[in-house]
Amino acid sequence: MSRFIRKMSRRATVQALIALPALKLFGNQPAPANPGGIDPDEIVEIDGWILRRSDLA
Amino acid sequence: MIFDSYEAYKQAGFKPKACVLGSGPAGTTIARKLGAAGIPVVVLEAGSREFSDESQDFYRGKTVGDFYFDLDITRLRFMGGSSNHWAGWCRVLDKQDFEPKAWAPDTGWPISRADIEPYLPEVHDILELPDFRPDVPVSDDIRWVQLIKSPAVRFGEKFADELDKSGNIAVVLNTYATELTGDGKRVTGARLWSNGQDAGTFSADYFVTCTGGLENSRLLLWSNERSNGGVVPNAAALGRYWMEHPTFEGGNAILANYSEFEVDDSNEAFFSPTLAAMERLQIMNFGIRLIESPYPNVKKLIADLACTAPSMAEWMSSKLDQRLRCAAQLYVAWEQAPLASNQIELSKSDVDHAGVPRIELHWKKSPLERRTLLEGLRLFGTTMAQKNLGRVRIDDWISNGGDYPTNEETAGHHHMGGTRMGTDVLRSVVDANCKVHGMDNLYVGGSSVFCTSGQCNPTTTITALACRLGEHLVKVIAV
Repeated sequence: MSRFIRKMSRRATVQALIALPALKLFGNQPAPANPGGIDPDEIVEIDGWILRRSDLA
Repeated sequence: MIFDSYEAYKQAGFKPKACVLGSGPAGTTIARKLGAAGIPVVVLEAGSREFSDESQDFYRGKTVGDFYFDLDITRLRFMGGSSNHWAGWCRVLDKQDFEPKAWAPDTGWPISRADIEPYLPEVHDILELPDFRPDVPVSDDIRWVQLIKSPAVRFGEKFADELDKSGNIAVVLNTYATELTGDGKRVTGARLWSNGQDAGTFSADYFVTCTGGLENSRLLLWSNERSNGGVVPNAAALGRYWMEHPTFEGGNAILANYSEFEVDDSNEAFFSPTLAAMERLQIMNFGIRLIESPYPNVKKLIADLACTAPSMAEWMSSKLDQRLRCAAQLYVAWEQAPLASNQIELSKSDVDHAGVPRIELHWKKSPLERRTLLEGLRLFGTTMAQKNLGRVRIDDWISNGGDYPTNEETAGHHHMGGTRMGTDVLRSVVDANCKVHGMDNLYVGGSSVFCTSGQCNPTTTITALACRLGEHLVKVIAV
């Protein structure tokens, strides 16, 4: 780790330190409902059928 | 007292204070109210005690616009009127049906539902109804509603004995008014036709036309034309804003559990939108009738579903194998937007045997209604899917904007508007008491006074309004 920091430029180190407080903004984000970005409860209309997305599986 | 001709009635020397034209649900109810209050009333009924082709012929007419039923089969012209062929479905217009809708011009009544509610116990006795159950919300958008299948009271049969024995009510069969005469303030008399011939003139202190949702307009249009505006002095809306309940099969549903909904004796259930959903989508009221599907239809539905949602089709197929009820046809009846262009006119070329011009009915469904049909089915389908109660398929002609089919129910044989109630004389014919604007002694009973149609069958509301008008007339005439 220390070797990695030694190899970073002074400028990059300062930028990383400035960014650190912002990291907590992402800490409370809920996990996505599904990794594929598809809501299984979404209502869809296909060929006249009114279905839940999950019905199409 | 019941007389078979005007001649026989004249010989009896009966002196009526009021004359009711027509013996259907409205006319009979109003006459009974007056008679019970000791006010002598004569009821002129154009037909006899039974159906006859000769009488029915007076109802022939023409429709311009959308496909509609022949005008001589969509109503009946004999004692009891169209109650002789109604199916018996009962429900009172919803509270929201009386309210103006910002997205639909010319909606809103000058009275509220609360104005007719005091008469509902009486209506229940007349129509032999149990109490209505309150609506049950299914979602924020859809509510289960009750339509009661009543014994379909035939007014002529049910009340014939009572009317015959009454000393205050005289029913004159085979007799009607071909025209009313008036001076712009009062109806001064009526020209009668009895048993196929001119029967001279007749007068009474008060006249109440209860000849039906088509014929009231025809009688008043013709009378007004003959009297140079002396019968309906403010006639801008006369014959206009005519409405029906268009009715079509709209799709199918598969159901997780058919018994989830309360069904009636015919295994049918009814659903309507909430006011919030109507406001959000800017649509009219509608009723979806859920009817159990016959077996071959269910198999076709499963095959169709298998193309889109195989696992859902498999699940449904297993239900079918267990002989469980799992599918329904969806019939949609909806409220028509009141349009001045939907109107009853007098034919310029065709008259009946008494020389009165026949009806030319101009009737067309509007784009707003088309949207109501599609969005209504979507609302219902979305509720079913969200609540996991079932899945809905909308028929292709609706989804694809196709023409209305001409081989289906088409409409409910419900004739509403033409002499609508209101405060604006340019947009209505009668006031909140069903009195013709500007006239002292002319009233209108029946569904022709409806400002909007709601989604339900009209007879219950017609009867309630008739009880209210009868009570009003008792007060007016007794003074």
